[in-house]
Amino acid sequence: MARRWWTLPLFLVSALAPSFSLAGPAFENTAIVRTIELGGSLVHVSTTYAVKALEPGQTTYQIALSKAERAKTSWLEAKVKARLHLSSSARMSPGVAEYLLSISLPKALAVNGTLNLVLETMQTHATRPFPEQAAQNEPQLLKYETDLFTISPYTTLVQRTKIKSIAPNVISYTTPHDVDSFVRDGSVTRSGGTITYGPYHDIQTDTDFVAKHQQSVSVHYSFDYPVIEVETLHRTAEISHWGSNLNIEDKAHLHNAGPTLKGHFSRLEYQSQNFQRKQAPHILSDFTLHLPPGVTNAYFYDQNGNVSTSHLRTAPSVAKGSKAVQYSVLQLRPRYPVLGGWNYSYTIGFDTPLQDSVSYDAKDGVYMVGVPVMTPIPGTVVNDAEVKIILPEGATNVKFVSPFPEISNSMSTHISYLDTVGRPAVTFTYKNLTYKHTDNIYVSYQVPLSAHLKKVLSVSAAFFSLFAFAFMARRVNLNLHKK
Amino acid sequence: MPAAYPLPSDLSPVTVANTASLLRIIALALISGAAIASRLFAVINFESIIHEFDPWFNYRATKVLASQGFYEFWNWFDPTAWYPLGRVVGGTIYPGLMATSGVIYNLLHALNLPVDIRNICVLLAPGFSALTAWATYMFTKEMKDESAGLLAAAFIGIVPGYISRSVAGSYDNEAIAIFLLMFTFFAWIKALKQGSAFWGTIAAVFYFYMVAAWGGYAFITNMIPLHALVLLLMGRFTGRLYVAYSSWYAIGTLSSMQVPFVGFQPVRTSEHMAALGVFGLLQIVAFGQLVRAHVSSKQFQELLFATVISLGLIGFFGIVGLTYKGWIAPWTGRFYSLWDTGYAKKYIPIIASVSEHQPTAWPSFFMDLHFLIFLFPAGVVMCFRTLRDEHIFVIIYAVVASYFAGVMVRLMLTLTPVVCVSAAVALSTLMDTYLDPAEPSVEDDKSESSTTPTGTTSTSRPATPASSKKAKKNKEKEKEKEASASAGGVLSELVSNVTSSAAKSATTAERGVFGMDTRLVVLLNSLGLLLFFVVHCTWVTSNAYSSPSVVLSSTSSDGGKNLIDDFREAYHWLRQNTAEDAVVMSWWDYGYQIAGMADRPTLVDNNTWNNTHIATVGKAMSSPEDIAYPILRKHDVSYVLIIFGGLIGYSGDDINKFLWMVRIAQGVWPDEIQEPNYFNRGEYRVDSEASPAMRDSLMYKMSYYRFAELFGGQQPVDRVRGQHVPIQGPTLDYLEEAYTTENWIVRIYEVKKDDVLGRDLKIANAFNQGKKRKRTKPMSRRKAIGA
Repeated sequence: MARRWWTLPLFLVSALAPSFSLAGPAFENTAIVRTIELGGSLVHVSTTYAVKALEPGQTTYQIALSKAERAKTSWLEAKVKARLHLSSSARMSPGVAEYLLSISLPKALAVNGTLNLVLETMQTHATRPFPEQAAQNEPQLLKYETDLFTISPYTTLVQRTKIKSIAPNVISYTTPHDVDSFVRDGSVTRSGGTITYGPYHDIQTDTDFVAKHQQSVSVHYSFDYPVIEVETLHRTAEISHWGSNLNIEDKAHLHNAGPTLKGHFSRLEYQSQNFQRKQAPHILSDFTLHLPPGVTNAYFYDQNGNVSTSHLRTAPSVAKGSKAVQYSVLQLRPRYPVLGGWNYSYTIGFDTPLQDSVSYDAKDGVYMVGVPVMTPIPGTVVNDAEVKIILPEGATNVKFVSPFPEISNSMSTHISYLDTVGRPAVTFTYKNLTYKHTDNIYVSYQVPLSAHLKKVLSVSAAFFSLFAFAFMARRVNLNLHKK
Repeated sequence: MPAAYPLPSDLSPVTVANTASLLRIIALALISGAAIASRLFAVINFESIIHEFDPWFNYRATKVLASQGFYEFWNWFDPTAWYPLGRVVGGTIYPGLMATSGVIYNLLHALNLPVDIRNICVLLAPGFSALTAWATYMFTKEMKDESAGLLAAAFIGIVPGYISRSVAGSYDNEAIAIFLLMFTFFAWIKALKQGSAFWGTIAAVFYFYMVAAWGGYAFITNMIPLHALVLLLMGRFTGRLYVAYSSWYAIGTLSSMQVPFVGFQPVRTSEHMAALGVFGLLQIVAFGQLVRAHVSSKQFQELLFATVISLGLIGFFGIVGLTYKGWIAPWTGRFYSLWDTGYAKKYIPIIASVSEHQPTAWPSFFMDLHFLIFLFPAGVVMCFRTLRDEHIFVIIYAVVASYFAGVMVRLMLTLTPVVCVSAAVALSTLMDTYLDPAEPSVEDDKSESSTTPTGTTSTSRPATPASSKKAKKNKEKEKEKEASASAGGVLSELVSNVTSSAAKSATTAERGVFGMDTRLVVLLNSLGLLLFFVVHCTWVTSNAYSSPSVVLSSTSSDGGKNLIDDFREAYHWLRQNTAEDAVVMSWWDYGYQIAGMADRPTLVDNNTWNNTHIATVGKAMSSPEDIAYPILRKHDVSYVLIIFGGLIGYSGDDINKFLWMVRIAQGVWPDEIQEPNYFNRGEYRVDSEASPAMRDSLMYKMSYYRFAELFGGQQPVDRVRGQHVPIQGPTLDYLEEAYTTENWIVRIYEVKKDDVLGRDLKIANAFNQGKKRKRTKPMSRRKAIGA
């Protein structure tokens, strides 16, 4: 097999409370290294399991996530580690309650056969501002908490946890207690912005161990970018065959979830900070979106109308299926700098050529459209998202597939310009989306010719009846008296 | 008969009539297009946005109407306006504008055209301007003929005097009112000419619409009675006048009383008494006529005459008496200010403080009307030459509107239509004279001097569509006995000679125009004037009248355009980052905008009905902090919003309006606020020479708070006043800065809550800054307690 990275189908075990002993000693973890890259809204965790099989013919490896971890995790992916190439991988939707994951290995391991598994997860809402208030000129300090030990149904020979902060400025971190029995060198070391817990030896994380030794450690660090959450995102994608156009419109409510502003906003300070190029980290003054190439008619407005402070650099449209070399870049500046605790709601929208996202199968007359779930704002989480895809009027035989499980989906009818019966629309809802959740939703549908002509006919009929009425009215004399 | 240039001779009358009709329709369509298009500068240069102040309220009310339906709108009580009083919106507005938009909105949505309500509101005024052009065409057609009508339509379509109130986004009552005004007048003229109760009823229906749409309906309420009265005095009483006036007045008045805001005013206020009086007078005169027709005795007629006079006098004194007794409300202040321009400044400073209530400056007549203002008197003179009933109407209208336009800038709007009509009549007469190819015959000057054309044809010249459309046969023309330059008649005559089979003997005028050169000089000159008019209108519209005033634009040094969007920045900030029930205090100019864009309760707004409330705000703004603070707290004020243009030179800011706040506050609290205290030796200054009252006032402090620090130790300059403000800026104890926009135009201050330790905020502040507590004040308090 040419690919060294395999796709792992990922199955969820039953929703019953897991019992670690059930898994049996089929495997042993020779090492677990967990790397946590601290961020604002998003925390990226990648855990490498060096696995050694103890029994022959094992094809299912289990990964455990604690309840708290599971609640925070919005995205995860497991891969077999080798050296090269990226590949697609199994993904999991947020919001499902299990926390013991079974992973089917690509091939059965022999006794003492080894494998490196990498589990990457994206955690949202995992940090909190501490202190909760900060004045305009103060730094932004966040706190992140996690369990000291990585739990696993199998015995772990050695494990360590690295917590990395982008800025080297770590205010404080927890020193674990009661860990002498696992430690040979030191329980925690710090070098610059990286804090390493471990290595800890011979960990058997069964229920007793968790009750006795598991503890939470926290890191208090400074973060130089604003912590932004999109509280609600309503995306509407409207397909027009007559206009050969796919319009995408995002209504977003943005919230700065960093420390709330202490005191008040001073324009003077803000301007002098800008002048000295030392802007406070928790102020969001602008952000950049990567739109698909070939974007036209982009708009950015809010409740009070057009926001004139935005710039769009478009990239030429590319043929469907081929990889876009460059994106259109939309630089948005909200009406006012969004400080800690402030909100900003806005609407952006743009048109893309329909042929870039819709393909047509002439044999069975099926259209297939791919609409991205979201356009991510770098480093933000979308708490609640609703994606509505509006198909052309008269579309039938609608089938859809979401790239990852949605919370719910529904069909409805949307009535827009010159419609007679309305257009079918599919709505999906999601929670806690990150930049990892940008794949396409695919919808397939058929449009008969009569549906295409419906609009033309109705408009012609309306005008015809108008003219006919005028024609008649000119020639009817309702006067009682002849003049 | 000699002709200056040949006319085609092989056209059938039907072809000519059809072509003329088609050309008229095309010309009207083009005029409508031009009228709409020239109003779209605002949308193209800026965006589809509601302009200025009042339109924001209308827009907000329309949104309620569109989203919640008519009954909710009718019963809408708005608790956020005039906090804490609130406002019964349904009963205190003219709902015509909102109802119009609501009907259009629902109609379009019923047709599956989901147009945004904002776009309907923005584009309503341009749309109605096209209708105004049509109504003016119909009106002028009654005065002269179709060619004058088309000219008048073209004039009113693009004249700046009307555009100023009807650009896209200027969603105000005037947007639809001018159409209603012109159409009501047209229907009235039509009713008067035909003696038709049908047209009288149409006039009444449109009058009702006008009453529902604009407070300026009083103009119609007095114009039509005045016209009727003048006709009566000129001895032109006819059955037609009686029918037209009675049907208009009875139906119009009854229907106008259905508007809640008007209610019983038509029978209770002095403004409406003229209409009632003339109605009564007409009944008496009609009765007199009736009796006289049946009685022959001379004595009896004299007796009757005396009875009629005395009845009229009794009626008149009855009205006066009722007014005196208070049954009929006397004239309002706004009305007095129309007769005495100094009245408002003395007694009602709020009315005087509005810039559009100032007397008109002479240049603005030219700016708003361009060459029409020269043609206007000529057109009125033309009316005297024919002087049918409808011409008398135009003459009265011209005289009355000229006076009002001179008194108040905003009444320029009512003058504009009559200027367009008169100028069109004048210009069209000129065109008729000089386009007529008939050459006067010098030798044969004893032939018939006047003509009574009976041809049924008309023609038109596509090259100058508005200039020479000739009327079809006009009956009234037969009345013209003037021998002079009724040259249009000659042209019709000529055309009929050429086109109709019934050839007539050639007739010639004894006066007229010789040769092509004379014609060309005059016509090219007129054409040039028309061209300059178009250029002027376009220029004025794009430069002067198309700014939304919510968004400002400036030109950078390289010619690029910068948008200054501070107002919306501040309002949006308020909307998203303050508590939903936070009360915002600002000067009343910004009340509607705050309600519309920030969606927050305001103390006062542009509906200036409560002078005391406004004076309270004025007092808070012009008092020192410690006096203002209790006022703010008593009114639950959370934020104070002011406009400050000193940084970028925006002259419409609050410091420039400050004297009005002082004056209005002085009107209610003459002991506490005195205007002279805010001057330094008669000069209004903000620099180090500013008077102590000025420097201590809340407005001054909020405007210049930390302004000096922006200059980094250099001498700070206020770019509006052109004065150096002190380097040591004012300090605030009871308020703190909450938000300042990018260009410092809008500054928002939060009112501090009471100190947690119960101290006075000034003392608490001083304590925080490490200053020693002043002994004097607390000592005396302690003494008082001891005693």
